[in-house]
Amino acid sequence: MWVVAGVAVTVFIILHLSGDPAAVMMPLESTPAEIAQFRHAEGFDRPLWVQFGTFAWNALHGDFGDSLRHGEPALGLTLERVPASAELAFTALALAVIVAIPAGIVAAIRRNSALDVLARLFALLGQSTPVYWLGIMLILIFGVQLGWFPVSGIGGLSHLVLPAVTLGLFSSAKIMRLTRASMLDVLSSDFLRTARAKGVGSLRLILHHALRNAWLPIITVIGLELGTLLSQAIITETIFAWPGIGRLAVQAIYDRDYPIVEVVVLLSALSFVVINLIVDVAYALLDPRIRYE
Amino acid sequence: MNVRRPLALIAGLVLAASAAPLSSPAADSTVVISQGVDPVTMDPLQRTITPTTNAQLNMFDTLLRHDRDGKLIPWVATSWRRAAPTVWEFKLRHDVKFWNGDPLTSADVKFSIEKIKDPAEKSEQGPRVNTVDRIETPDPYTVRLVSPRPVALIPGYLWLTMIVDGKYWAEHGNAYQAEHPMGSGAYVFKSWTKDEELDLDVNPNWWHGRAPIEHVIFKPIPEAASRVAALRTGETDLITNVPVQDQLQLAAGRNTQLESARSVRVLFIAFNTLKPGAQDNKLVRQALNYALDVPAIVKTVLGGRGYPLASPLPPNFTGYDPKIPFYTHDLAKAKALLAQAGYPDGKGLELVINAPTGRYNRDKEVAEAVAGQLSETGAKVTTRIQEWTTYVNQVSQRALSPAYELGWGNDSYDADNTLTSLLSSDARLSTYSNPALDKILTDARFELDPLKRQALYTKALTIVHDEAPWLFLFEYEDLYASTKRLQWQARPDELLLCDEMKLSG
Repeated sequence: MWVVAGVAVTVFIILHLSGDPAAVMMPLESTPAEIAQFRHAEGFDRPLWVQFGTFAWNALHGDFGDSLRHGEPALGLTLERVPASAELAFTALALAVIVAIPAGIVAAIRRNSALDVLARLFALLGQSTPVYWLGIMLILIFGVQLGWFPVSGIGGLSHLVLPAVTLGLFSSAKIMRLTRASMLDVLSSDFLRTARAKGVGSLRLILHHALRNAWLPIITVIGLELGTLLSQAIITETIFAWPGIGRLAVQAIYDRDYPIVEVVVLLSALSFVVINLIVDVAYALLDPRIRYE
Repeated sequence: MNVRRPLALIAGLVLAASAAPLSSPAADSTVVISQGVDPVTMDPLQRTITPTTNAQLNMFDTLLRHDRDGKLIPWVATSWRRAAPTVWEFKLRHDVKFWNGDPLTSADVKFSIEKIKDPAEKSEQGPRVNTVDRIETPDPYTVRLVSPRPVALIPGYLWLTMIVDGKYWAEHGNAYQAEHPMGSGAYVFKSWTKDEELDLDVNPNWWHGRAPIEHVIFKPIPEAASRVAALRTGETDLITNVPVQDQLQLAAGRNTQLESARSVRVLFIAFNTLKPGAQDNKLVRQALNYALDVPAIVKTVLGGRGYPLASPLPPNFTGYDPKIPFYTHDLAKAKALLAQAGYPDGKGLELVINAPTGRYNRDKEVAEAVAGQLSETGAKVTTRIQEWTTYVNQVSQRALSPAYELGWGNDSYDADNTLTSLLSSDARLSTYSNPALDKILTDARFELDPLKRQALYTKALTIVHDEAPWLFLFEYEDLYASTKRLQWQARPDELLLCDEMKLSG
């Protein structure tokens, strides 16, 4: 909880030092009196520590205030968009894992073969391709030219394909690279040589003995990637008009809509904390040597 | 690990995707409109953001409407007149009903305007009605707006004031209106999923007659390139803010067409004459105007989509005077004026042009082109580009100096809003001060005789031309693109009124 509290304080201070929301929210022709009235009504004319005290007290009671742009409770507006963001992030991660882990294993087993070179090329391209470029390219090729998938908005499974591939590619490349490295480490270890000498079948050797020992770093990176995917979704959601938290956050930052930005950042921090917790629990499940007292 | 299960999942996904309907081409009687952002609320008495207004104006009626030339035409009000020097009187139609059957009466008009005026509502629309002191309703179909002083402008400012059902509002309270509108307009609210889509059905009982298109969906697409792609795949029928670089491709598209309208939005570069520097010298300001070649900027930076301006006003505005001359490109004259001001060959003159990025069409590029042209005088001209939220803070504190780019969209089609907001001494955005101009602008605001009022604006524009507090740039041309089946003519006020659209075939 200290992490979340620390994030809350930092975000509050940075946001309030970064500019006056009245100048952005009010029409340009407003008079100084109208601007002053807005600042007073929203409490922006009070000392910063008083504003923070009120914010913290209300936040502890689940009240993050009304969005300056929408005039509705910020928490509700943000939570409404969680399912769309979660759907995209989990699908992207699932696609990434499904592609990356088998590819990583194959690349490790067939080290320096054509397959390995291909996998490494995929890792290089996947991690160096900018998301916005990839998104637009996929739209042009699979949406406009081939007409296979819709290019914007949320809907059936077909709407999910292009944004999930765009979002998942980077993670896929990273997980693939790590799986390959981790497997190579394990494959050259003594216990595996012993197992092979004892005549353990090669599929069982890889899946049961090698992969099980290579799991820990892979699980860690998958967990961290989920957190990253939630934040990277900002670009993907904007390109594909996906109605998630990322898009809400971008607009809120443009508008200096403090309540929304605070809720989004706190939610992200909270999700990182929860994901780390899940990863820690997963360690214990996967590795019998790890026990939490 | 069982590798077969994930593979089966992928196969399933692919199959499901191929079985699902692909780009759902809009049904025959449905039109999908994609703006860059979603409406922020369904409450029509709060905000002044164009994409929000665009959605709301299809659900709510107004007293008057502007036609495409900026002329006021009767709408819910059949007639309007000045009943006394300080009183504007509007007569309402008797056959206007909200969707729930409640009749629209003078009480609803009074309710709507008073709601906007109420400081507790924090409405952005306040400036539109702040000259109204009180509202009288002598009978259900007569509204009288009373001001403390005679005001010429009230009907023009009422065009975007939407009328809500006072009875419904009182029953449900403020918060409810943000998601449950009750209007009387051409389209009936059906559903709204934020950032996803707003669904509207035609109002079969609309007093103006049933609109030709049965269903309208507002589906926001923030990224311009994605908007263009969605139009090309037929996922949407109409897109706004078409990037200039895509215009040729969309105009020549098999299923797409381009639509444009001369906009009420002007772009200019203001000098901050309130701060010391070369820019507080009139000769320097005039010289820099002569050094500019605005038609060339319009051609190269905007792909021809703009109209050079001689003064702050576009030609179809009340107060515009065609006799005000342009500053035509004349580098020799510019250099002579600079020499006269003490900067021979531009030596010693340094100018920074501040500009936002991503706020107006090609804003950054225009500023860079201007800087390039002004450098030809020998002066050292540079640009300082900032993101809009940071920029606008400084604009409203008059902190940008010596020069800064700003756009202005005045949908009242009247000189008052532009000149008073941007050039009168006490205006928040004005960085120019001239008591003589202030007096003329105040007199014009309260002058009721149109001829005398025009004469005052001619005088004001003559001063503005001579004093050159701005680099006069251009009026934008707004670009839209649609599928070929949509028949529609773009409006200069950036509004998308669906009752003016129809489908071919």
